[in-house]
Amino acid sequence: MNYPSATDVLVIGGGATGLGVAWDASLRGLSVVVLEQGDLGQGTSGRYHGLLHSGGRYILSDPTSARECARENLILRRIVPHAIEDTGGLFVSTPADPPEYADEWFAASRREGVAAQEITPSDALRLEPLLTPEAVRVFHVQDAALDSFDLLHALAAAIVAAGGHVLIRHRLERLTPAPDGFLAAVASPSNGSLLHIQARVVVNAAGPFAGRVAQLAGATLPLALGKGTMIAMATRLVNTVVNRLKPPADGDIIVPVGTVAVLGTTDTPVEAPEDVRIEPWEVDLLLYEAAALIPSIQDHRPLRAWAGIRPLYRPPDAGQTETRRLSRAHALIDHAAAGGPPRLVTIIGGKLSTFRRMAEDTVDLVQRHLGSSAPCRTDETPLSPPPRRFHRLPDRLESLGRHAAEPQLGLVCECELVTTEDIRRALDLSPTSDLDDLRRDLRLGMGPCQAAYCAYRSAGHLVRHDHETDAASALAIFLEERWRGVRPLMWGQSLRQFEANRRIYQDLLGMDRP
Amino acid sequence: MTDLVIVGAGLAGLLAANLAARRGASVTIVAQGRGSLSLSHGCIGLGSLPASDLAPEHPYHRAGKHRLKPAVDFFLEAAHAQGVKYLGTTDSVVRLPTAAGSVLSLHFVPATLAPGDLSHPGRTLVAGIQGFRDFDPSLVAAGLRARGVDAGSAELPHPGPPPTRDWYSTDIAARFERSWSAKEVGRLWRPSLDSAGRLGLPAVLGLTAQDRILSALEEALGITLFEIPTLPPSLPGLRLERALRRAALAAGCRLLEGSAAIGRIDGRSGGARTLGVSAVTPAGPRTVEAGATLLATGGVLNGGWRAERSGRLHESVFDLPIAGPENRQAWIGPSLFDPHPYDRYGLSVNVNMQPCDRDGRPFFPNVFACGGILGGADRRREQNRQGIDIVTAYAAVEAALS
Repeated sequence: MNYPSATDVLVIGGGATGLGVAWDASLRGLSVVVLEQGDLGQGTSGRYHGLLHSGGRYILSDPTSARECARENLILRRIVPHAIEDTGGLFVSTPADPPEYADEWFAASRREGVAAQEITPSDALRLEPLLTPEAVRVFHVQDAALDSFDLLHALAAAIVAAGGHVLIRHRLERLTPAPDGFLAAVASPSNGSLLHIQARVVVNAAGPFAGRVAQLAGATLPLALGKGTMIAMATRLVNTVVNRLKPPADGDIIVPVGTVAVLGTTDTPVEAPEDVRIEPWEVDLLLYEAAALIPSIQDHRPLRAWAGIRPLYRPPDAGQTETRRLSRAHALIDHAAAGGPPRLVTIIGGKLSTFRRMAEDTVDLVQRHLGSSAPCRTDETPLSPPPRRFHRLPDRLESLGRHAAEPQLGLVCECELVTTEDIRRALDLSPTSDLDDLRRDLRLGMGPCQAAYCAYRSAGHLVRHDHETDAASALAIFLEERWRGVRPLMWGQSLRQFEANRRIYQDLLGMDRP
Repeated sequence: MTDLVIVGAGLAGLLAANLAARRGASVTIVAQGRGSLSLSHGCIGLGSLPASDLAPEHPYHRAGKHRLKPAVDFFLEAAHAQGVKYLGTTDSVVRLPTAAGSVLSLHFVPATLAPGDLSHPGRTLVAGIQGFRDFDPSLVAAGLRARGVDAGSAELPHPGPPPTRDWYSTDIAARFERSWSAKEVGRLWRPSLDSAGRLGLPAVLGLTAQDRILSALEEALGITLFEIPTLPPSLPGLRLERALRRAALAAGCRLLEGSAAIGRIDGRSGGARTLGVSAVTPAGPRTVEAGATLLATGGVLNGGWRAERSGRLHESVFDLPIAGPENRQAWIGPSLFDPHPYDRYGLSVNVNMQPCDRDGRPFFPNVFACGGILGGADRRREQNRQGIDIVTAYAAVEAALS
């Protein structure tokens, strides 16, 4: 790989925030390098519920965020239409919710510019037959499903096409102030050797890891980390985003994403970015709350659970406020202004839905440091669909329909329709041969059987792609990773599926044998 | 009215049916599905641990060590009579390669798998069939080489016209049985083979005629052949299931397929005896009256017992309690390949194979249990899943008919 030795802007973190900043800076003529310690989508951006906010959720609790969401919603529909499924959203008030809240909410929606239209509960039932028949008030909003993997890959491809660098699996080791900015020492994934990059401005967009990055630069950054747990149900129970019309609380949303429906979310304070372990009470709470919106939820099978870490800025005067009550609006911190190192900027908090606006604010500040003033153009520059875009189920079904007369061979993953050809292509494009990276690109192993067949079928391709690969270890690591996502759901059908997979991989294939 | 109703048609249930019929009992099998033999390698593991290392409540001890030999003999005979020949002994193991290149140690193995025994030296060539997804020769060879075995891999051309969809093991087996000539396939494959002591193929050589197909191919290729089980459907397991099913039907057992046993029938006069089971069958609800009931419903995979989100663990037909913690997090271990506590959950039985409560009292005098539904064993670690099925089926039938 050709490494840059100097750049105008070094962005730490390859989530939506960091990539958004790098894309915005590229469009303003700055050179950029993004460092991502894992894979694209491995952090908070890939571990969210999939919602493009209409703003409805924050109308009363955080009007600034609500307005921003409403504006950004319209912009993103323009610039990344390929990453968005326009599901629409419902806000549903049940008999258990304060009746006056619905009126206040509806009035405020007009005030804050969040489009909302009341529909009758029976129309809502026609739209979503599994919805509770006890719904009292229902409002239709502009929520949508936003595929963050698609978005991240589109951003990364655009940055690279504009001459920038996106270095995945590269970790920042040291950040030393230099006469004109910083000198960054970066661990390369191939042999762990250190690369050195000279940067005029460093943007810390490391999400839950931002505190550690700030520390490397000798700055302090008080953060509150909140763990949000989500459950993907094995079937797409709704075609519209369904929100509970009450003050923001645990378990107030169901988002249709591809073939599944995602129940979100909890909010629990945690100490470290790695604290993503899911407790049984979180699972019980999400299923209990979802039952208020979809009473039959107990008859459906939870497929996987995961948690993401929300990094929220805790201003020095906030004390020990509950994380849910801290603002979801983003914070942009110029460390120089607070007596910290010059030319270090941290962008933290916010929501995936507003990543573009966060990037705009950040690059405005970066330009002030660099003495330039090009205008932001991200709101008018559409992003091309990413080249590595294999994972949308409807596309595959359409293609199957178009080629119905031809033999359909080489299906590796029946649940997600991943073919041998997809895997070969992904391996050719990918710098690593890690089955979990293939999963993020292809949705390999993400369906109802959780990799019972495709893990084995794809492991052989690793060997053929690179003879040095230890395919058995890669397979074991992948299975362990799939297991982590079902571990909190070990009862009923999920436990049976898990046992079936153990029969295959342990008893039949002997993967656990020396 | 039947002498014995058996719930479940996996290895334990089918073997029990055969034995009970042999002993002159009238037998009805109520089967919801097909058991899990087609997920298995079809071999018989009797265990890697001496019996003295197993707890007194282990199913082996409940069934009686002295029954292992006659039970295994009965199994071998029943399978053989239906054309599935097993090789092995109770006190030695065969080391067989798996489709992932690992090695399993098993006591009795189908004759078509036996030449793969890695205890015998010599170069092993592992070959896959072009386009067949469920067996990857390069993965097998890489795994074997990592274990010090001299192994290579090859891909063999697809015999016959190219398929128009992806094939499963059963699709290839059907062609070997009905349309492909072993001689012609041998002629097609021969140029792809380098010199080796033996050739491992995916286990796809027919569903009933595997011995004949294997020797015809062997003759055409001029090399010792053996099969390696593939991803499910795994034919060695499926062949065994079908053999035991044929044998049971031939012995006069009645089989209610697609039928879920949902509860017991109580006597009008009360009392502890149960008069049989009620079932939901494809023809509607019905009752199966029986002198004795044998639960061969399998473990949690097969639905023999259930784990609820609330923390409740219970047996599925009679709603008998299954011992285990209420905290569902305690059912599982930290890492995938670790033993998980739920592995040991199941019914506890006395030496008469009667399910018992915590104090060792049978719930019913005429209800018995065998196979995967029994708790107290870690079959995966002990490598005795099939041994437990066979000996507990044997012991349960003896108790039920006495």
